[in-house]
Amino acid sequence: MSAPKKPKGGREVEKGVLEKARSFPWGPGLKPLKRRTFLRGAVGGAAIGLALPTLDAMLGPSGAHADGTTAGPIFGVFFWANGLPWHAGMGGETAGVTYPDLWTPTATGAGFAPSELLMPLARHRVSVVTGLEPKTEVPPNPPGQSDGHMRGFMVAMTGDRIRPEGFDHPSHTLTALRPTLDQYVARHAEFYGDQPSRFRSVQIGISEARFHDYGHWNAISYNGPDSLNLPILRPTQLHDQLFSVPDDLVALGRRARMMDAVMDDARALQTQLGARDRARLDEHLTHLSEIQRRLDLAAATCETPARPVDSGDVTAKLDAMSELLAIALRCNLTRVFSLMLTSPATTHVFSNLGVTDGLHKTCHDGLWDRVRVTQAHQMELFARFLDVLAGTTEPTGTTLLDRCAIWGTSEYSEGWKHGTSEMPVVIAGGACGGLRTGVHAREPRGNLCKAQLTLLRSIGLSEASWGWNGGETSDVFGELLG
Amino acid sequence: MYALVVHALRTLLRLSLLLTLAGSLACSGSIDGPTGEPRDDDPLDPIDRLPEYAPGGPVLARLTGDQYRNTLVDLLGSPLPAFELEPDTAPYLFFHIGAASTTLSERGAQLYEEAAQKAVEAVLADAARRASVLGCEPTAPGDACLRSVVESFGRRAFRRPLSEAEISRWLDASTEAAEGDAGRATQLLLSAMLQAPSFLYRVEVGEADPANEGRRRYTSHEMAARLSYLLWNTTPDAELLAAADRNELVTDEGVFEHAARLLDDARARRATQQFFAQYLDLRRLDHVERDVARYPGWTETMTRSMRSEIELVVDDLVFRRDADVRELFGAPRTFVNAELAALYGIDAPGASDVAFVPYEFDASSPRAGVLTTGAFLAMNAHPTETSPTLRGKFVRERVLCQTVPPPPDNVNLDLSDPSGTPRTLRERLEQHRRNPECAACHADIDPPGMLFEHFDSVGVWREEEAGGPVDSSGDLDGVPLDDARDLAIVLAEDPRVPACMVKQLFRHASGRLEVASEARALRALTEHFEASGYRFRELLLTLATSEAFRTVAPVEPVGAEVEE
Repeated sequence: MSAPKKPKGGREVEKGVLEKARSFPWGPGLKPLKRRTFLRGAVGGAAIGLALPTLDAMLGPSGAHADGTTAGPIFGVFFWANGLPWHAGMGGETAGVTYPDLWTPTATGAGFAPSELLMPLARHRVSVVTGLEPKTEVPPNPPGQSDGHMRGFMVAMTGDRIRPEGFDHPSHTLTALRPTLDQYVARHAEFYGDQPSRFRSVQIGISEARFHDYGHWNAISYNGPDSLNLPILRPTQLHDQLFSVPDDLVALGRRARMMDAVMDDARALQTQLGARDRARLDEHLTHLSEIQRRLDLAAATCETPARPVDSGDVTAKLDAMSELLAIALRCNLTRVFSLMLTSPATTHVFSNLGVTDGLHKTCHDGLWDRVRVTQAHQMELFARFLDVLAGTTEPTGTTLLDRCAIWGTSEYSEGWKHGTSEMPVVIAGGACGGLRTGVHAREPRGNLCKAQLTLLRSIGLSEASWGWNGGETSDVFGELLG
Repeated sequence: MYALVVHALRTLLRLSLLLTLAGSLACSGSIDGPTGEPRDDDPLDPIDRLPEYAPGGPVLARLTGDQYRNTLVDLLGSPLPAFELEPDTAPYLFFHIGAASTTLSERGAQLYEEAAQKAVEAVLADAARRASVLGCEPTAPGDACLRSVVESFGRRAFRRPLSEAEISRWLDASTEAAEGDAGRATQLLLSAMLQAPSFLYRVEVGEADPANEGRRRYTSHEMAARLSYLLWNTTPDAELLAAADRNELVTDEGVFEHAARLLDDARARRATQQFFAQYLDLRRLDHVERDVARYPGWTETMTRSMRSEIELVVDDLVFRRDADVRELFGAPRTFVNAELAALYGIDAPGASDVAFVPYEFDASSPRAGVLTTGAFLAMNAHPTETSPTLRGKFVRERVLCQTVPPPPDNVNLDLSDPSGTPRTLRERLEQHRRNPECAACHADIDPPGMLFEHFDSVGVWREEEAGGPVDSSGDLDGVPLDDARDLAIVLAEDPRVPACMVKQLFRHASGRLEVASEARALRALTEHFEASGYRFRELLLTLATSEAFRTVAPVEPVGAEVEE
C-alpha cells in the first residue's frame, strides 16, 4: 500500500505484458534480419546477387539467439466446410432415425480416447472443446442472420455477428464487422511487437469451389467490413509470394524508397474524400508501408524451395501448400496463417469418395452416410497438414507444431439444418508451451468465444475478454493452458 | 476434379428440393434493394408521383482487373508480360460496386507493385516502345526530359493534369531513389506512378455547378474517366482528355458528342459484354462441371461455347442490328457451334468446333431467348438434377429485379420419404406448396421455374423424368403457362424487364446501388428506353448524358459518423 501510486492505464498493462513475454520460454520474438544488416555483412557489397545466406547460418549452429530464444509462437486457423455429421445432440433427429455422435469423445480431460472422426487427429494429440455454441445475438431483420452460415461462421471467426446490411441481397453480400482471429493476432501489438515477420500473415485456400462470389463464400480472413484477404489458391502463387526475391537487393531497396512517393500521393488524395473512402485509402496506405518494409527485408529468406507444380487434386495441392507454408514458418517469414481447406457452404464435389453432388447440397439432401465419409476425409486432410508441421524440426529440436496454436473449426455444427449447437472446435499445437495437448474440455451450451479467448491467451496475448453483442466472456478453459 | 454445382444461391438450396420450412415468412415480392435501403417504386407508377431528383453521393472506384489491364495497354502498348492481380469481387452482382466499396488487401497492393515493375521494365527494355512512351531520352535523374515524362505520362495515367507541386514531388522522389542513374529514375518513376492511388482509384467528387445553384456536377476530367470506363472499360483516349482539358465535358453537347463517338468504337462492344456478363451472372458458368457418364454430350469446352453463344446474341442485338433488346428473352435467333447444335438437337450447317453460325428456332421449337440457352439452364441446375427453384429465382431476381427474402431461421428440414418410390422433382416440390410457410415464397419462385423442366441439368430437351412424362406447366404471377417458350413470350412484353435492365445498368455505371432520390431519373431513363424501341445502345447514350450520371451529392464530411 505504501508503494507510490502509479497512474492507471497503458503503462502498467505494457509492463505486465513484457514480464509475461519474458517468462515464456520462447522469448519476445526474433528480430528479423534487415536487408542492410546483411549487406554490411557481405564483403564490400560483393555478395549482392549471390545465393542468400541461410538464416540458420546467421543464427549460429543451434538456430537460437544468443539468449537461447527462438521465434515465438505461431497462430493458425484451419477451416473446413459444412461442420460435422448431425446427431441427436445437435437436434438432428428425424423421422425416427437417430444418428450417432461421431465427434464428441466419451471421456473428458487429458488422454481421452478419440472418437471416430477425431481418430486421424489423435496422432497429433490435438485438444477438443465440445458443447460450445455462439452466444452472439443477431437482429431479427432481415431474417436469416442466425443461420449457421452467417452467425455460426462469424462467431467462429470473429466473435461477433455479421454486418446485417446486404446479406439478404441476391448476391449475398456478406461481410464481417471486425477482423477475423488471424488478422486480429497478426496486427496485435503483443504478438509481433515492433518486429513483425516479413509477412504478417499468409492466407491459403485449397478447394476453389464456392457458393457465391463475395464475402466469406470464398474467403475466411477479414480485416473488417468489406475488407477481405482472399486466399492464395495455387501452390505456384504461394511459392512466388513467399520465396520469389530478385537477386538485385539494392534495386529492391530503391523500390522501397520510391514507395514514399506513392504514399504521399495517397495522403494527398485523402483530403478530398469522405470518411468511408478515406478509411479505405488509409488501409491501402498501411499496406504500402508493409510492402515497403518487406522490400527492405528481402534478404532474410533462409531457404528457397523449388517451384511446385500446380494441381487440381485437393490432396496434392494441400501437400504442396503445406510444405511451402512449413518452410515459410521455419524461416520466420510469417507467424500467422489461415488455411481454408473448403470454403463455407462449399459446392466441392468429393468425387474421390463416390459423392456425386456438392457437399452443401449433399448435407441438405440428408445423405448422412456420405457426409460422414466426407467429413472423416476432411479430418484426415487436417491431420495430413499437421503431419507436415509436426515433421518439420527446428534447429532447437522442437517441431513447428510445438510452436503452433491452431484454431480448427467450421461454420456450423452440422449442414443439414445449419445448426450451431455443439460447434466443432479443435485446438492443435503446443503454442511454445502455452497449450497443453491432448485434452478434451466439455461445456454443454458453453460460449464459443471462451475457447477463442483461451487460444489468444495461450500465445501470450493479455486480452481481458473476447466476444461481442452478447458473446462477451472473460473466462477461459484453464485445463487447456500450459 | 472440382465437379461443381453452380455456386447457387444459398437461400435456394436451403429451401429447395426435399426441404420443408416452418416459421412465418412474408414474401412480398418487393423490388430488389438491400436491407434498410428504401424500396424502389412500382415501375408502373406515374413519374410525377416520384420525389424530385437529387443525386447520390460520390464513390471512390478502384480500377477493376479488366480496367487496369486495358488501361496499362493503352498507356504502355502491347504486349505486356503476364501479371497477377487480386481478383475482383462483385457485391450486389457488379464488379464496379465491388471496386467502389471494398478495401484492397495487402497482397492486392503488393501485386500492383509487382505488376507495375514488370510491365514498365518490359516496355523500357524495348527501344521503340521506350521512345514512344517517354517521348525523349532522359540523361540524368530530374532532367527536363523526365520532367516532361512526369507531366505527360502523369496526365494520361491520372486522367488529369498534375499540379506543379505534384510534378516536383514525383520528380524529386525518383531523383532521390535513383542514386544518379537516369534509367533507374525512369523505371522507378513510371512504376511508382502506375501503383499510385491517383492512378488506381478514380477520385470523382464533382464541383459546384455554376448554372445550377446548390447542385454539384462532375468536372470535365471526371466525366472523361466516367464516360471512358463505362463505355470502353479503359482510360480516356487523347481526344477525350483534350476535350476535358478544354472543359467541354460539362455541357450536354460535349458529353453527347463524345459518348456517341465512344459508342461507335469497337471498344464499346467489349465493354458492353462486360455489363451483360454480370447482369446475366455468366461467371457462374465457370464453375459448372458435369459428369460425362451422366451427360454424354458434355465436353470440356461446353461452358465456353455456352458463354460465346450469349456474347454473340448480345453483340448481334445491341451492335450489329441495334434491335429491341427485349429480344434477349424472347427471340428465337441465336448462334451455335457444333457442340451446342448437338446439345440442342438441331442441324446447323456450317457450324464447327470453333465456328458459330446464326440459327433461328422455328415456332414449334421449345427454345427461344437466353432463358432456354445452355448457359442459363446449366448455370441454374445441380450436377445431377435440375432446380426449378434456382431457375425461378433467377427469373425473379435477375430478370424482374425482385427480391426473394431468405428463409426464416430454425427451419425444420424433414427429409423423410417413407414410400421409397421414385418421385419427380415436381412431386417433391409439392411440399413447398402444401406447407404455408414455404408457399409464401415458393409460390412465387417455383411456378416459373417449373416451366423449364423439359430441360435437364445441361440444357438438353427431355420427355421423361423418374420414369414418367415431364410436366413443365407453371405460371408467372398467376398467369398459367405451359413451358419456357410461353414464358419467353410473356417476358418479352413485361414492362418490369426493361425497368430492371435500366436499374442494373445504372448500378454498373455508378458503382453503387441507387438511392431513393434517384428513382425519378431511373424512371426517365426507362421511358426514354421505351421511346427508343428498347435499343440498348440508345440507353447507354441516354444514361451517359443524363443528370443521374453527371451530378453528384457533396462528399460526406469526415467525422459525420462519429457519434456511433
